[in-house]
Amino acid sequence: MDFLSHFWGNVTLGFGVAGTPFNLLLCFVGVFLGTLIGVLPGIGPMTGVALLIPLTFSLQPSAAIILMAGIYYGAMYGGSTTSILVNTPGESSSVVTCLDGYQMAKKGRAGPALAAAAIGSFIAGTFATLMLMLFGPWVAGIALNFGPPEFFSLMVAGLTVVTSLAGRSLVKALFATLFGLAIATMGIDNQSGVPRFVFGNPELMDGLEFLVVAIGLFALCEVFVNLSDMKDAVQERLSIKGSLWLTKEDWKRFIPSCIRGTLSGFFVGGIAGAGAAVASFVSYGLEKKASKYRDELGKGAIEGVTGPESANNAAAGGALIHLLCLGIPGSGTTAIMLGALLMIGLQPGPLLFTQQPAFVWGLIASMYIGNIMLLVLNLPLVGMWVKLLDVPLYLLLLFITMFSFLGVYTMNNSVQDLYLMVGFGVIGYLMKRLDIPASPIILGIVLGKLMEEKMRQSLVISDGSVMIFLNRPISLFLLFLAVVAITNPYWKQIGRAIRRLFGKTQPDAL
Amino acid sequence: MKENREERIASVVLIVFSAAYLVCAFFIPMPLFKQQLGPGAFPIAIGIGMLILAGIYAWQQFRGGAKAKEEDEEVEKRAVIIGAVEKIEKKADLKTMGFMLVAMLFYAFAFERLGYAISTFVVFMAGILYLDRRHLVRDAVIVVISSFVLYFIFTVFLRVRLPAGLLSIFGL
Repeated sequence: MDFLSHFWGNVTLGFGVAGTPFNLLLCFVGVFLGTLIGVLPGIGPMTGVALLIPLTFSLQPSAAIILMAGIYYGAMYGGSTTSILVNTPGESSSVVTCLDGYQMAKKGRAGPALAAAAIGSFIAGTFATLMLMLFGPWVAGIALNFGPPEFFSLMVAGLTVVTSLAGRSLVKALFATLFGLAIATMGIDNQSGVPRFVFGNPELMDGLEFLVVAIGLFALCEVFVNLSDMKDAVQERLSIKGSLWLTKEDWKRFIPSCIRGTLSGFFVGGIAGAGAAVASFVSYGLEKKASKYRDELGKGAIEGVTGPESANNAAAGGALIHLLCLGIPGSGTTAIMLGALLMIGLQPGPLLFTQQPAFVWGLIASMYIGNIMLLVLNLPLVGMWVKLLDVPLYLLLLFITMFSFLGVYTMNNSVQDLYLMVGFGVIGYLMKRLDIPASPIILGIVLGKLMEEKMRQSLVISDGSVMIFLNRPISLFLLFLAVVAITNPYWKQIGRAIRRLFGKTQPDAL
Repeated sequence: MKENREERIASVVLIVFSAAYLVCAFFIPMPLFKQQLGPGAFPIAIGIGMLILAGIYAWQQFRGGAKAKEEDEEVEKRAVIIGAVEKIEKKADLKTMGFMLVAMLFYAFAFERLGYAISTFVVFMAGILYLDRRHLVRDAVIVVISSFVLYFIFTVFLRVRLPAGLLSIFGL
């Protein structure tokens, strides 16, 4: 009973924080802007959150995270709309939704497709929030017992798991992670006071501001990428005909796929720590295997919309468990949110639940409220969102440029930051051309300082022996996970090599 | 193969970059009092890691043969499973991009000197004239709002300090 009353106390505390008129307004602004960002094809959630961080500077931490989280899951919702109606995913986690969503719209069933996406997202988002509420304190409790070695290994595992899923080439993704860590080493070393990689430039003493890198790599890079193929941006848009609502038959097919999508998405995002895009692909794969109507997939089956859309929202919520309880972001967007919280002066991690209950529970409560707001915003107003696609791309790109400059300048009033941001924009474009993923860089920058600190603390404890990372069971397990994540693409090859070594000549059975 | 040439150049650049970082890391001065692990250890470890990865990347690009092709196919298969983003294969419009880059550099240069409002106005107008001049009147209104009106909203209502630049002559 003690647990229950404690739990209830937290929930009421949360709704007390989130329910203030100002925070309700912020929550609404967040989900509104998030939907906008999700709908607009030029900007994804990462760019959106990064661009809007300067808005949060003057806010309390709890208000700031309510706004950012709103943008985050709002974008997850909005992305599906354009997938269904225009066959253009607003962000990467809605790519799969195009497959069946657009086909449904072509058959004149755009209404049910949009409704299925919105309701699926709502159910999954609420489920993920519930899980965060139930398991968050528990996970944080475990992590409270972590020493520096465990934290170091946890960060290694987090970085490698995310990295291993970040792009088609593992080598490039890992390089990007290390590049991010390298950027994090710039500036004065916290522990010895020695300047590193400052090159005599006083503005670099504090290191490279993460927002400069994030906005350059995402926002300005988007400007370059979209400019480079702007000419053929004519889209055919389908209108919504007929009823928005699902038929009885639809509901029958909706429920099982929604449950599958929610559970698999939560597993992928919340436990494995992979992002929402991966979750949506995993869910589509699952539907292909498990659904009764698997033959219709790709031709406009409702399962192909519900599954991935539930999954990406469940994963987005799940990723917040990592962020809040462990302080380890599981995706590019949560990494940017972590960076923003660090800038405000809050260190997410296991202590958060005990030291800042109003912050954590306020966020959780706001997510329930935000999910309901989104449902209301998205279903009846879908027509308005689609109109947004009429905004000409060149204006949108100019606005992104303007907001990037505005945001980065107001942070430090530094012109040098502007030049650096443009530089990272160019780097971001080149990386995109070379297929090097950008989100691991952000992860590396955000975690770099803490990771180095924990490594050095560990080695002080162990008097310089690296065995401290292998002697402790939790740390060893986490490092094992990291090794699994890195080697998994090569298992086939390794297996083949071993077979060859033992002289078996049969063709591989895998 | 053109794409491969790009990647070959990139792999060499990354090797040079990693090596330069590593060399700089070795030159990080030691603090006055001795510590278990100096400020240089972590950067050195990262530098070595980057150098190794850049080396593997270069090796992947410069070797040829059937085995490499087979591995590339395997990578593609995996990319489908995890939903990696499509590569940009289209030829880039370098002229437009070059224009935008120059515009951004000018924007950064002029942001404090001319002030937010004027520099934004100039960059926006230049962008519109270059990219699409079919809706000049409508776009010009948008530009004035997002430069001058936004400037007043920020400085007067939100009390965010933005550089006034030339406008300061008028005491604004």
